[in-house]
Amino acid sequence: MSLPKAVYEELEKVVGSRNISDKEYVLAGNRAQTPEIPVRHRSADAIVLPGSTEEVAEIVRICRRHGVRYVGTVSGGIPTAYATEENTILIHFKRMNRILEINEKDRYAVVEPGVRHVQLYPEVRKRGLSYTAAAVGPGGSVLVNIACTGGDHHNQYGSSRPTRYLLGVEMVTPEGEILRTGSLEAGAGWFCPESAGPSLRGIVKGYSGNAGHIGIVTKCAIALDRCKGPAATRTEGVSPHSRIYMDDECSRVYVFNYSSIQDVGRAMLALGESEVGATVQKYFYLPLSLMMTSSANEFWEKWDGFRKAFPMPLVVHLAPHSVREREYEEKILFDVVRETGGVRLPRELERWWEEHMDYFMIVSRLQSVLRLGGSWLPIKTGGESVRHLCDIGDSIREFIHDFTDTGKIFDAPQNYQIIPMEYGHFASFELLFMWDRTDPNSFRYMQEFCAASRETDLKHHAHSMTAGGYGRAGEALGRLYCDCHLWAGRIRHSFDPDFDPDA
Amino acid sequence: MLYPKTTEEVREMILAARHSGGGLVPVSSGPPHFHGASVNPNAETLDLSRMDRVMAIDRRSRYVRVEAGVTFGDLLPQLAAHGLRLNLPFLPRPSKSAVASALEREAVLMPKYQYDYPDPLLTVETVFGTGDVFRTGSAAGPGTMEENTSDKVIPWGPGPFDYYRFLGAAQGTIGVVTWATLKAEVAPSASRLFFIGSASPDPLLDLAGKLLLDRVPDECVLLDRTAFSMAFAEPGQEDALRAALAPWTLLCRVCGYERYPEERVDIYGGYVADACAAFGLTAETEPPFPVDPAQIERMLTDCDRRDTYWKLRRGDERELLTLVPPSAAPAVLAEMSASQPDAGFIVSPQVQGRAFRIECGLYFEPDPRQAEKAEETLFSLAGRLVPLGAYFDRPYGRLPELLYSDPLARGAMKRLKSIFDPDNVLNPGKLCF
Ligand SMILES: Cc1cc2nc3c(=O)[nH]c(=O)nc-3n(C[C@H](O)[C@H](O)[C@H](O)COP(=O)(O)OP(=O)(O)OC[C@H]3O[C@@H](n4cnc5c(N)ncnc54)[C@H](O)[C@@H]3O)c2cc1C
Repeated sequence: MSLPKAVYEELEKVVGSRNISDKEYVLAGNRAQTPEIPVRHRSADAIVLPGSTEEVAEIVRICRRHGVRYVGTVSGGIPTAYATEENTILIHFKRMNRILEINEKDRYAVVEPGVRHVQLYPEVRKRGLSYTAAAVGPGGSVLVNIACTGGDHHNQYGSSRPTRYLLGVEMVTPEGEILRTGSLEAGAGWFCPESAGPSLRGIVKGYSGNAGHIGIVTKCAIALDRCKGPAATRTEGVSPHSRIYMDDECSRVYVFNYSSIQDVGRAMLALGESEVGATVQKYFYLPLSLMMTSSANEFWEKWDGFRKAFPMPLVVHLAPHSVREREYEEKILFDVVRETGGVRLPRELERWWEEHMDYFMIVSRLQSVLRLGGSWLPIKTGGESVRHLCDIGDSIREFIHDFTDTGKIFDAPQNYQIIPMEYGHFASFELLFMWDRTDPNSFRYMQEFCAASRETDLKHHAHSMTAGGYGRAGEALGRLYCDCHLWAGRIRHSFDPDFDPDA
Repeated sequence: MLYPKTTEEVREMILAARHSGGGLVPVSSGPPHFHGASVNPNAETLDLSRMDRVMAIDRRSRYVRVEAGVTFGDLLPQLAAHGLRLNLPFLPRPSKSAVASALEREAVLMPKYQYDYPDPLLTVETVFGTGDVFRTGSAAGPGTMEENTSDKVIPWGPGPFDYYRFLGAAQGTIGVVTWATLKAEVAPSASRLFFIGSASPDPLLDLAGKLLLDRVPDECVLLDRTAFSMAFAEPGQEDALRAALAPWTLLCRVCGYERYPEERVDIYGGYVADACAAFGLTAETEPPFPVDPAQIERMLTDCDRRDTYWKLRRGDERELLTLVPPSAAPAVLAEMSASQPDAGFIVSPQVQGRAFRIECGLYFEPDPRQAEKAEETLFSLAGRLVPLGAYFDRPYGRLPELLYSDPLARGAMKRLKSIFDPDNVLNPGKLCF
């Protein structure tokens, strides 16, 4: 079904005829590109490209008047960025792609939604600064990543989750009004996220993002940190046959393997207490192995060796200010590893991390996980103390072997990551699993695996994830989380009167 | 006055107030109260001082969970016994509630541990104005507090909203917080305190920015000589100390933790010295004025346990608190100190050095007319600071008159208020409600 002509024309008046289309070949290029996720996506009825906040506001008002649904999208990294129902248009932000300000003194950058990591990251790095760029890759939107979705990133040990770095926000509410939050709402600039009083920052994002339900974010400021590690890196080759050179005496990577997750946790906490290291991570070994190989054939050749060599790798990047401090940090690191039973990887393996330091600075190759041609899903994407997450890691063996040993999912039972943040005050978790989507039963196996995981967490009353969902739709989990689904439903309804929390 | 002892009692009191149409204003700290947030002629006081349990101190995961009535005076020694410390404001009074301090976003002394403005506040339990009990972040679930096996330390959520941000700096208008989990830090095993003096605050602001960008100092705070002498002089010695001080002093402390602590202090002390040299400043460990550095270091890491709280040495005090980005700090500070040359100034870098909280204190002998005059002076000063970039994110007294000019933002706050406190039971009339 296509959009009624009158609505199309109203939208066209706002953005101009070059910036709207309902042509099938245009829409087809903007359908879900995630065949590994077995959700049926249909085409949107039209796609519009606004050029400003005011245009977004007008589009939203037109949609509301005519009962048309809309979905915002940039790189379409996740399925919610596509139309799933009839009578839906896509609002694509590719024209709103300006870096509006990089304020070195006040350490923030202001961006529009269409700005990708690949645009902003080099600009701030040139200035000796950095920010929390998630593993979505260089094409992901900075604003969406930090203000609207997930998420965690792989070098948050010496910093924090991206959500801590979201400052002033400008958004268009479902009623088509332009709302500004934090110091911005008082005319004091972008620097502070909090309102004077109950903070409207709280409606923009919680543990998860609300992906446009409370408003389309049209601008936001993100805080900038010091860039850790070499400011400039020499590179050679073209991905995946590329490497970088770390010509810096103050940057070192060490990788250790462990046999117990509790020992990994002890090491993380001990390093955190000493504030040693810029990045510390217990990474998942399956994506690692994929990233360390450049073809499916090479992966299958090496996987067996890799899974034995580093089933539980603790990766540590030291990026101190001086050689003396590096030596001090190395002393502590090796003490901690000795006390906790870690074993350093052979140099020929460890060298891979050194040569791919871009992976610590801005993770750019996680998409390689798709190369196997299978399906994949992250679950248990929650955060808690290192202690609690290590217990959750331990509990995975209670259910995973029923699936890995029977070929229902890929046989990689340790394939979860724990990434500490704020020097080990807390951490994020992710259990990533893969399966063969050509198997007709795979969808059922995937569902069974998710259910087994959830059941195990509930049995232990483990906080492996937050509870999403608004109103009735979020009831199953929400009632175990202080009825947060009811509160979320009320908040959403108060900003979007068309949303029915009882539906 | 109502004195609940449990969350259930708080709930009953709120439900009773809802029923009778009365108002309630929660108070957690003991006197003296400074900002008037808890003064409300239209509300009965809900005094939480009897809710004074320290519920958990966890050395491994570095947090403490306390009820709202637990004061700094009581809590700090207990934390020290576990090798932990809090990210404290500058020399708070011992009767100050640790929960209220974090909820109010009071300036912290160690910006390197602060990643976001509500930090060190992690999770809370609250009773909303509806009478519903709610827990934020990972304390929400799964299950009851007793069932949930997590440490309950993740502040965000549950789900797509940050409920704890609705409660911070809300002056009790959204919910009554009954307990909170606060981030704690490892107590240092070695340290060195530097005194860096300057005739102008500007190079010290830049120096603090540089040091914090590199995450060098633990405590870092800038004081003018009035605030310095009021805070640290022996009784009767304020004037002598004031006369000996540089107009501005940056206090900057570097620390070592459990492993090779002296080595870290040496390395980080070297970074302070190098940065000072680059700014043409000198970092001293033995200051050229009559104070005991060890005593100052102790005071920086504790509350003010002397008989008379330092801000009340002259009998009474009124203060103006503002938040500014680094680029606006020099102009705001210049206007403040030109307009109030006798005031005391505390400038606390926050959130990794990306902002400064500035406190301007007027100290005077107790006299209602003087107090009224001081309030008037500070309010008019606040009005002049707004165009210079000052943000009043903790709007006490008449400051709301300078805010809420954006009708949409005000409307959005009112929508939240109507969800969580539909009958306007909690601190009615405050902020924009
Ligand atoms: C391989 C891979 C790895 C990933 N790893 C991580 C990771 O480590 N950490 C992490 O945090 N995330 C990760 N993600 C998910 C990632 O966070 C999101 O895909 C990304 O943030 C979104 O950027 P995008 O440009 O792809 O947005 P899109 O996918 O285009 O949009 C994402 C969602 O935001 C909504 N949206 C888009 N624009 C706006 C707007 N202006 N206002 C409001 N809502 C809007 C969309 O409707 C959609 O629901 C990963 C994704 C992939 C594919």
